[in-house]
Amino acid sequence: MPTLRDLQLDFAAQVYDNEARGLDAHVHANGLTGARRLQVYRNNHISSLAEALRAVYPVLHRLVGDEFFTHLAASYVNAHPSRSGDLHEFGAQVPEFVATFPRLAALPYSRDVAVLEWSYHEVFHAADHVPLDLTRLPSVAPQRYGELKFKLHPASRLLETPYPVLRLWQVNQPDYCGGLQVDLRSGGDRMLVIRRALDVEFELLDRGGYAFLLALRDGMDFATASDTASAVQPDFDVGSALRDFVSRQAIVDFAL
Amino acid sequence: MSTTTDGRSSTSTSHGAIPAAQETPSPALSRAGIGLRAEHYRDVIEQRPPVGWLEVHSENYFGNGGRPLHYLDRIRTDYPVSLHGVGLSLGSTDPLSDAHLNKLKSLVQRCEPVLISEHLAWGSVAGRHFNDLLPLPYRAEELRHMVERVSQVQDWLQRPILIENLSSYLEYDTSDIPEWEFLAELARRSGCGILLDINNVYVSARNHGFDAQEYLRGIPPPLVGEIHLAGHTVKTFTDGELLIDTHDQRVTAAVWSLYRDATRRFVNVPVLIEWDAQLPALEVLVDEARRAQMILSDTYADVA
Repeated sequence: MPTLRDLQLDFAAQVYDNEARGLDAHVHANGLTGARRLQVYRNNHISSLAEALRAVYPVLHRLVGDEFFTHLAASYVNAHPSRSGDLHEFGAQVPEFVATFPRLAALPYSRDVAVLEWSYHEVFHAADHVPLDLTRLPSVAPQRYGELKFKLHPASRLLETPYPVLRLWQVNQPDYCGGLQVDLRSGGDRMLVIRRALDVEFELLDRGGYAFLLALRDGMDFATASDTASAVQPDFDVGSALRDFVSRQAIVDFAL
Repeated sequence: MSTTTDGRSSTSTSHGAIPAAQETPSPALSRAGIGLRAEHYRDVIEQRPPVGWLEVHSENYFGNGGRPLHYLDRIRTDYPVSLHGVGLSLGSTDPLSDAHLNKLKSLVQRCEPVLISEHLAWGSVAGRHFNDLLPLPYRAEELRHMVERVSQVQDWLQRPILIENLSSYLEYDTSDIPEWEFLAELARRSGCGILLDINNVYVSARNHGFDAQEYLRGIPPPLVGEIHLAGHTVKTFTDGELLIDTHDQRVTAAVWSLYRDATRRFVNVPVLIEWDAQLPALEVLVDEARRAQMILSDTYADVA
């Protein structure tokens, strides 16, 4: 009679990894074979985790079709098993997984779509935050403005993609009814994914704005972030950019 | 029928100080409730359907903000809310996840649920989660383990929880305690209550060939703090059939009938309709709740 620990390890190996562990011998056949009964759990596992991935990656699902997506999901479950009883955490490695998945080479933009959809998922569930109260700024001595560390909205993500992922996402929305042409050679996107209240929004950024927010996100001070932005976009107007990002709630706090 | 000898004893358990869940009923829980899913948030707010309470899956509110918590905060101003967990993996031999318990506790503090429940199941081992409700063998070893785990959760939350019987598709030859006895003993020893899922009793009885009535008779009424009803699917194989707990349709006639029997034994226990897949219009769930309510009214009119 195996211990509970051994039984659970055997169950995992046999049901989910297809390794023979003799578990059937401990399953009461009772009409159906033990193997049949174990198969129900194997199928349930794949279908429920595939369903979780479909919910997070609807555009990827639409692009590759249901049958292929189910195959992709089953492969993903094996390569990156769930590590939490909270399914919100499941699926984070899908972008890198699809980037190297055989038979997806014909859809080189599938990684970008997955990056966007995972960002959407994270932003959807991230913490709320009140807008920045700019009347707090006068409490800082002007000569120290350069040292300010601005904080981005917790429900925001920055992404830069080789393909025009926003267009790809838009033409694959269920309620979209326009032209379906996407020029894959039109270049990539720099984007802010943000949720101010309840709805997740995508906002395209110019080169300077993207570099500026990325620098702030990575903990650089205001002076360094401004220099970084100006280096990639010489006409970058840091004053108006700062006011703009505060009013759009991309920036929600600061500290010295 | 004796309900005095088989109920919760007054001897102290490791949780003697924690009051039993079923000793503090909310009046709203005397009316049937329904499971709440994201697709119905707006309809629930706009229509204020005539149900007593709403139950949500705890893990769906483990995010830090946004739409789910916004609607939960809003809806609980109109209805009592209960939290039903599916991912704690109580029966696993891995340690309980501190992160999971912390999120659950934060959620409990935020939404002040009338009831909190989890399952008599395991769903992970060696750090890997299957996000499923897997059956345990029922032996003394597993009973001790479950008592310990349920006690840990109740200590963490500082309140009792309810443990639900699951639908299962296999039994272990090594089990030597019937599930109903295991569940009742778990409740007695840990101080938890029982969430008796009538559909799961029916599904497991059919899948394993035991008598659903015997199951009901084996559960001491004072231990039951909530009842679930849901729909299931019959899956036919070349060598037989299994009932699968799909929660994707109306409660079947056989399960309504079993519920009618259960209401005579488990008096004034809050009842809830679950529906998690292929979600219909809110009206359909409300109609199912109305049906449960009619059975309750019939039974207690007879008793009176």
